[in-house]
Amino acid sequence: MKLERQRFGRYGALMVLLCVATFGGVTIAAPYVPTSDSAPLETLATRINDSARGGASNAPAASGPSSRAMRTLLARDPKNLDLAVRIAQVYMARARSESDPRFLGQAQAALTPWWSQSEPPVPVLLLRATIRQSNHDFKNSRLDLEQAVKREPNNAQAWLTLATVQQVTGDIKGAADSCNKLLPLTARLISTTCIAAVDGARGQAAKAFDSINAAMAEPESARGANVGVRTWALTLQAELADRLARPVDADRLYRASLALDSADAYTVAAYSDFLIDVGRAKEVLALIPAATRVDTLLLRRAIAAKISASPDAAQAEADLTQRFAASRARGDRLHLREEARFVLAVKNSPDEAVNLALDNWTVQKEPLDARIALEAAVAARKPKASREVVQWVVSNQLQGDKLGQLVSQARAL
Amino acid sequence: MMRRAILTLATIAWLCFTPLAQAHKASDSYLSLKVEGAKVTGQWDIALRDLDLVLELDRNADSVIDWSEVRSRHAEIAAYAMQNLDLQSRGSACPITIGDQLIDTHSDGAYAVLKLAATCRENVEALTVNYRLLFEADAQHRGLLKLETPGKGSSDSPHVVSAVFPADHGTQSFTLASGSTLAQLGTYIADGVKHIAIGFDHILFLVALLLPAVFTREGRRWVPVVDFRTALWSVLKLVTAFTIAHSITLSLASLDVVRLPSRLVESLIAASVLATALDNIWPFLPRKRWLVAFAFGLIHGFGFASVLADLNLPSSSLVLSLLGFNIGVEIGQLILVAIVVPLAYVSRSSTAYPRFALQTGSVVIAAVSLGWLLERSLNLQLMPF
Repeated sequence: MKLERQRFGRYGALMVLLCVATFGGVTIAAPYVPTSDSAPLETLATRINDSARGGASNAPAASGPSSRAMRTLLARDPKNLDLAVRIAQVYMARARSESDPRFLGQAQAALTPWWSQSEPPVPVLLLRATIRQSNHDFKNSRLDLEQAVKREPNNAQAWLTLATVQQVTGDIKGAADSCNKLLPLTARLISTTCIAAVDGARGQAAKAFDSINAAMAEPESARGANVGVRTWALTLQAELADRLARPVDADRLYRASLALDSADAYTVAAYSDFLIDVGRAKEVLALIPAATRVDTLLLRRAIAAKISASPDAAQAEADLTQRFAASRARGDRLHLREEARFVLAVKNSPDEAVNLALDNWTVQKEPLDARIALEAAVAARKPKASREVVQWVVSNQLQGDKLGQLVSQARAL
Repeated sequence: MMRRAILTLATIAWLCFTPLAQAHKASDSYLSLKVEGAKVTGQWDIALRDLDLVLELDRNADSVIDWSEVRSRHAEIAAYAMQNLDLQSRGSACPITIGDQLIDTHSDGAYAVLKLAATCRENVEALTVNYRLLFEADAQHRGLLKLETPGKGSSDSPHVVSAVFPADHGTQSFTLASGSTLAQLGTYIADGVKHIAIGFDHILFLVALLLPAVFTREGRRWVPVVDFRTALWSVLKLVTAFTIAHSITLSLASLDVVRLPSRLVESLIAASVLATALDNIWPFLPRKRWLVAFAFGLIHGFGFASVLADLNLPSSSLVLSLLGFNIGVEIGQLILVAIVVPLAYVSRSSTAYPRFALQTGSVVIAAVSLGWLLERSLNLQLMPF
């Protein structure tokens, strides 16, 4: 009954058929009628153009009309490609700056007239690929991007996104080729950081670190690069420093990146992982507010709270349990990596964590994915489970003390 | 070069350099329905953020939705919700009314809770839900349905079915466990017949299997059978072997004892049609055709199971549905046999039959199934059906 169905459409896999009297185990408090008219019920994420969002507001339409006004325009003229692409780009920027996947669905809705075309205009291809990537549909994302670079070999965005997808799915060689295509097309900081990310995943972290230093020093980078690019470069450099066992540099670079954009969820998460690793879990509790909406950050907070025996550990655990259940209830499999970490580090169930981590490994193959798979396999004492991952780490010469230790531990099982 | 570089830097900003860190999940609404007799009651939880997207709840644009901004818009919220949900029983609509509206909190924020009620014309045995909420504004929105029917006895626990409505699957039907056993059985039988009627691969397999049933094989030649009884006997053996085989795997798969990936199953089904058709032209399979029917029947059973799984059956009536669906499949097959076998028998002695019906027919079936095989095994889109 749990056969994956293909002939009957994608929805088949979404059908939750078993007789489970829950919405994924979410306990729902009784509905109520607020007693006061002014009772605030929901805070909407700040509209991108309503207030200065500091570093994060680098959306193309940051100075244009509000997204609401644009949507009204599009409703009157839904086949207006330029308008639809602009709106979708605004939504993508918001999905990123607010870490909110709702905007991905809104971007997709704006692109409805072109969404199912096999050869839509290139700007639509790029957006569709990015949305598909965010939904972990890496295969179709890649097909879109390969089509885009074929039709527009000078499209830097297409090459860069392709490199990202290739790297996430473990195609290191393909990612390197795509990054190299960027060299003549874009600012040096972008192509350098692209290649550095690849090099960092194939045993050349030191070289990658130095290359970013050199690119940063160029005046062009200081003038041309927006905050997003520099944050990306600095955070990658911090990760590389960590892998090279240079914790002082890593700490400095993470802070430099956060000074540019304190709201960048990727950087906050990476820095938190670093802090937890070096025994500074308490600082994570100050870095990430308890009320964060971002699951990846709440996960770090929950782990840190557990390690430092903080009183709000139980609350963070309960919140996350609920959120993972809600994701599962809608049929999402987007948070396997995070869920594996949660199950291992907070729930302390290594066996369950191994299954989640290995499911995740079939989809994503970044250093973090390798790490959680090995951690779980070691904790559950399942050498067989870790074999493929160990092989991958070794053959790609993935660096880092933690990973190295885990590989030895996994081999000793 | 310099200018282009800077331009790229500015326009590239919306891109994900690093994978997106996602807050909670995408948009869902939670629809709980309870069916009792002809009445449907329930509640529908819709996120305030989603309602704001389509109805602009935040009138004062302070980025906070307060109770007055919701309360004053109750009529519009109810109207919007009713426009986007239809319930049907036996082809006629069950009009929905929205009652009280409350507030609740889910893992990703505050939701409007709409109490709803609907009355169908007669007792509901199968409910069709057409869900359209928000899809035009958010393509990744999903409706999460929990459908409850009371148990048969007063002490029985209620039956609950869960289903997800994504944008490309907004209409789904549910056979309820509360209908009389006979009525339910009837629905499952109809489902089974329908599946044979629209399952081209099963039809072609049976046709390929039945085409030579009015012959016996002598060496490499087909010789017409002497009487109808011989033909009927060989058909009976074939159909029985196929039925027993697919019943076994249908049950095993439905009870979750054996699981095979659908791509493999669908590819093997195509391969079985291809092999049977080719065998009619150049015999290479075992001479005992019922053995072939049995072996391939095992594969087709897995295919039937995925159809059954798509019908949203309550697991409490799994045995009943298995039985009904299987009977339906049998009836569908017998109808096909009743059409094909007499025709084949009557025309068996004409010189045209071996050449046109058997040879050409088998070539056509082989070609179609080869298309399916390539399409399914390589995950392509080749075939119009």
